[in-house]
Amino acid sequence: MQFFLKILILSVLSIHIEASEYVVVANKNMQAVSLGQIQALFLKKSSYVGETKVVPLNLSSRNLVRESFEKKILHMHFSRLKSYWMKQHYLGHRPPISMKSEASIKAFIEKVDGAIGYIKLKNVDKKTKILYKWSD
Amino acid sequence: MKILVLFLFIISLLFADASNKENSYNLGEGVKVADLPLYIGGYISLDYRNKNSENKYRIDDIALLSYGDYKKVSYMAELEFKQFYTLYERDGNYTSKAHTPLHVERLYLDYNFDENYMLRLGKFNSQTGFWNLLPINVLRDTTSNPVSTIILFPKFTTGVYASYTSYKEGEFKIDGMLQHTKDLDSTYNNYTMDEHYAMGVSYGQDSLQFKFNMGLFDSYQPNNLTAKRYYALVALKYERENYQIVSELGSQTSKERFTTAYAGYLQGLYRFTEQHAGILRLESYDDRVAQKKDNIAIFGYTYRPSYPVAIKAEYQVHTLKKENQFLFSFSVLF
Repeated sequence: MQFFLKILILSVLSIHIEASEYVVVANKNMQAVSLGQIQALFLKKSSYVGETKVVPLNLSSRNLVRESFEKKILHMHFSRLKSYWMKQHYLGHRPPISMKSEASIKAFIEKVDGAIGYIKLKNVDKKTKILYKWSD
Repeated sequence: MKILVLFLFIISLLFADASNKENSYNLGEGVKVADLPLYIGGYISLDYRNKNSENKYRIDDIALLSYGDYKKVSYMAELEFKQFYTLYERDGNYTSKAHTPLHVERLYLDYNFDENYMLRLGKFNSQTGFWNLLPINVLRDTTSNPVSTIILFPKFTTGVYASYTSYKEGEFKIDGMLQHTKDLDSTYNNYTMDEHYAMGVSYGQDSLQFKFNMGLFDSYQPNNLTAKRYYALVALKYERENYQIVSELGSQTSKERFTTAYAGYLQGLYRFTEQHAGILRLESYDDRVAQKKDNIAIFGYTYRPSYPVAIKAEYQVHTLKKENQFLFSFSVLF
């Protein structure tokens, strides 16, 4: 009985660990980027990696993966980002476009060379390139 | 009046256009016009000041923003009615002043060569310190501007701006500004000038940003001669979710003497909630041209029902007691 209980606990834990691992992904042709570059791209401080024009993709607001990305990668919460984008509007910059789902992000990335987004690790396939990995 | 009606008409058109789009209009984010590389927004600002028993009511800014990008080029245009209407009241006597010309606040083209290099051409906010980058009422923390941001360096530059930025470990930036012509629209620049050369270095990582700027400009004096002024400024900003500390300190000199021995401020902002923030700013300056030396403590409170709407109140205590004042403002970003 104890053995089955341990297996059950380990299974639940492994599901939990898998669910809280995320990746920044891009088109296969994208070169490697640093964390600083990812931050600059998603905050629209920069629109290029080398000479490639980059299209950053967000998930819709209040999405859990997006919340984790904003907290762990951008180091900003929703309200601070909101004020950040108001200021950027005055400076002539727009926030990244939002996609409805991780599947939409993957489909967009496959078709567009400079596209970059973030999804759960378990949803990665061979058509996308992993640039950065993080977990909650 | 006709211009105001036209402006309101344009704004109403924008709202009408936005209602037809999939992504509905959100206040403070502007609106995309059709499928063109064109976004339009704007802002307004109304304020009130009580100083030396005089009340001043003002429609200060009514501005229209337009920007967009296509491939490596982007542009920004900002047209503005400034100090549009002012009403003064003292001892029950009222006087008013209207200023209706439309001014070019910013007008520039950017060319992004790649990830690191950028070139700007036109009229833009001088990229000096932190405060001068976002100087409009709705985006700044208090109704008033620190004195140092008004007396040390030209607020606007008409010419060329170039920058190199690296995002590898933190954000490192080195930039330069060059003006060798008259201002595109000098009405609201704090200095009338035809030369401005400046450079800056900044570094930021996570919550901390540091900046150093230095430059020289040739300003017109009342006797129609020009005088060279040299300035330097250091700035520091630390920002977390609930609070922000920002400080700028600089000095300005001519060839002969210090024209501003020092001018600076240290400001702390604490967000009690998303909507409510308290601000304390301490300022000090020694302006040897105006022969004014003052220390100021500013106590401010800002309420933002939503971020693009700001209702602010502040009280300023000066060592020059006749400068003590109360300010209140209402501003919106569209």
